[in-house]
Amino acid sequence: MSAGHNLADGWRNVRTIAFLTLDTLFWSKKTIFVMLISLFILGLSILGRLIMSYHWIRAPFTSAQVFAALMSTAVIHFLVLFVTLFYGTALVSEEVEGKTLTYLFVRPIPKPTVMLGKYLALIWICCLLVLPTILLSYLILYIRRDMSQFLEDFRVLGIDFGIVFLAILAYGALFGLIGAWLKHSVLAGLVYAFGWEGIVSYLPGFTRKLTITHYIQSIFPHEDSASAIAMLIGQRTDALESVVTLVLLTLFLLATASLILREKEYILEQ
Amino acid sequence: MTSVLEGKGLSKWYGQVIAVNNISFNISTGVTGLLGPNGAGKSTLMKLFTGQLRPSQGEIRLFGEKIWNNYPLFHRVGFCPEQDAFYERMTGEQFLSALLSMHGFAESEVAARTEAVLEKFDLVDARNKKIAAYSKGMRQRIKMAQAMAHDPDVLVLDEPLAGMDPVVRRDTIRQVRAWGREGKCVIVSSHILHEIEAMTSTILLMHNGQVLAEGDVHQIRDLIDRHPHNIFIRCSDPRRLAEKLVGYPDVLSVRFHPDGGALTVESRKPDEFYDRLPDLMLQHDLNLEEITSPDDNLQAVFHYLVK
Repeated sequence: MSAGHNLADGWRNVRTIAFLTLDTLFWSKKTIFVMLISLFILGLSILGRLIMSYHWIRAPFTSAQVFAALMSTAVIHFLVLFVTLFYGTALVSEEVEGKTLTYLFVRPIPKPTVMLGKYLALIWICCLLVLPTILLSYLILYIRRDMSQFLEDFRVLGIDFGIVFLAILAYGALFGLIGAWLKHSVLAGLVYAFGWEGIVSYLPGFTRKLTITHYIQSIFPHEDSASAIAMLIGQRTDALESVVTLVLLTLFLLATASLILREKEYILEQ
Repeated sequence: MTSVLEGKGLSKWYGQVIAVNNISFNISTGVTGLLGPNGAGKSTLMKLFTGQLRPSQGEIRLFGEKIWNNYPLFHRVGFCPEQDAFYERMTGEQFLSALLSMHGFAESEVAARTEAVLEKFDLVDARNKKIAAYSKGMRQRIKMAQAMAHDPDVLVLDEPLAGMDPVVRRDTIRQVRAWGREGKCVIVSSHILHEIEAMTSTILLMHNGQVLAEGDVHQIRDLIDRHPHNIFIRCSDPRRLAEKLVGYPDVLSVRFHPDGGALTVESRKPDEFYDRLPDLMLQHDLNLEEITSPDDNLQAVFHYLVK
């Protein structure tokens, strides 16, 4: 069989596994919870827009500032982290608990292909839940008769989409790895996301580079408290280096997760 | 007959718990019954057969090849798990074609095989229904369907008859026997002796992670029959029935139930006893309300055998 044929077969298997994974992943309580966070963010956007609409309030901020604040705090440090943590750690564990993993593991496909399919489902579901929230927030805050600001900041929106996508890739791979490896993966993920990253990313020195958030802050087009501190202590990483690091880190985490899936025995309780 | 599945000094333990303890076996084509009470190690052994678990010690080979992480080998294996677990929101057709497509068939072939297997397991009408809406019997059938849709050489069926209604059970038993006759290697587990007897006479008898006996089911039957067998009967007149039963040489004792409406008979030849009972009831105009055998499970048989 040719390499091209193998690749096509491999890709078909990845898609099939993604399709099967979506069945267990999307239709769960997690999705309701994430949708509530999204609605909360949209609610904040509406509130910001309402305040700006009443001139007598003299709102001390612009649409761009509200959008930047939402992106840096609510979206990147909250929504993206939660969505990748919840779904990433559930990628394998959900099928272990649901005992459906058997159907995949008795097929003639390498386990790394299973991991890739699951990861594809994760990226798809995260993008589906996060990107429309960003777009809707942007529309709520920017649409008015004079569309000049809307068009002017559209490029920033594109960059935001790219950064959020990179963040989903990196965090998704990390939490996918934790989920494939550890039993209490949600707890471990929470400790990393809100313990390690929350503390280390504010510290000066090299340790900042041991967090994913550092590289995201380094390419973030908006000013937020964390990146302001980073700017202040002059420790932003170059944009290209940050993007390359995030991509390489994603590949490394994904390869490690695949290796764990290949070597680990998953005991389905009777 | 050539050996399909071979185990040598095979052990599997989970932490401190030994599930399979230093067993060796040779399984050839045809139907082999894996018989043992709950917790005997049957499911663990089946997971070792299908590469879901890695042996802790010893080795297991399928067609002479190691199984763990040997993906191409799984083209030749079909597995029907014991657990009632599915991708619930998928339709039966989606479920089958998704799993079939992982065997590298072209899309037209996947569609044709899905169609054939839906028909074979009488699921055509339910093809577009979500699996969550399937009855217990339909769920059992679709589990069997996914195991054999790719026409494997080896079929490993973990408690396949559990939850099936009598008609489907009969059809499934016929199907399993037919696969055996076709030259496939079919391994079926159950903790119910007569289920296994209906499908095959070749068995592997397991208890506490070890193989107690290997070979013909009739030998096991003989062993069982050498031991007294308890049969509980509830009927319209237990005293009269007892009076008639004590005359037979195989009946060793009769005990009455405290409520006076039932009795427990101890017989040395349960098969003869069961054959004789309907005529006896008819002759003496007795109404049978309930008949069960506390010994008609393998746990009791194993108590006899390991004594």
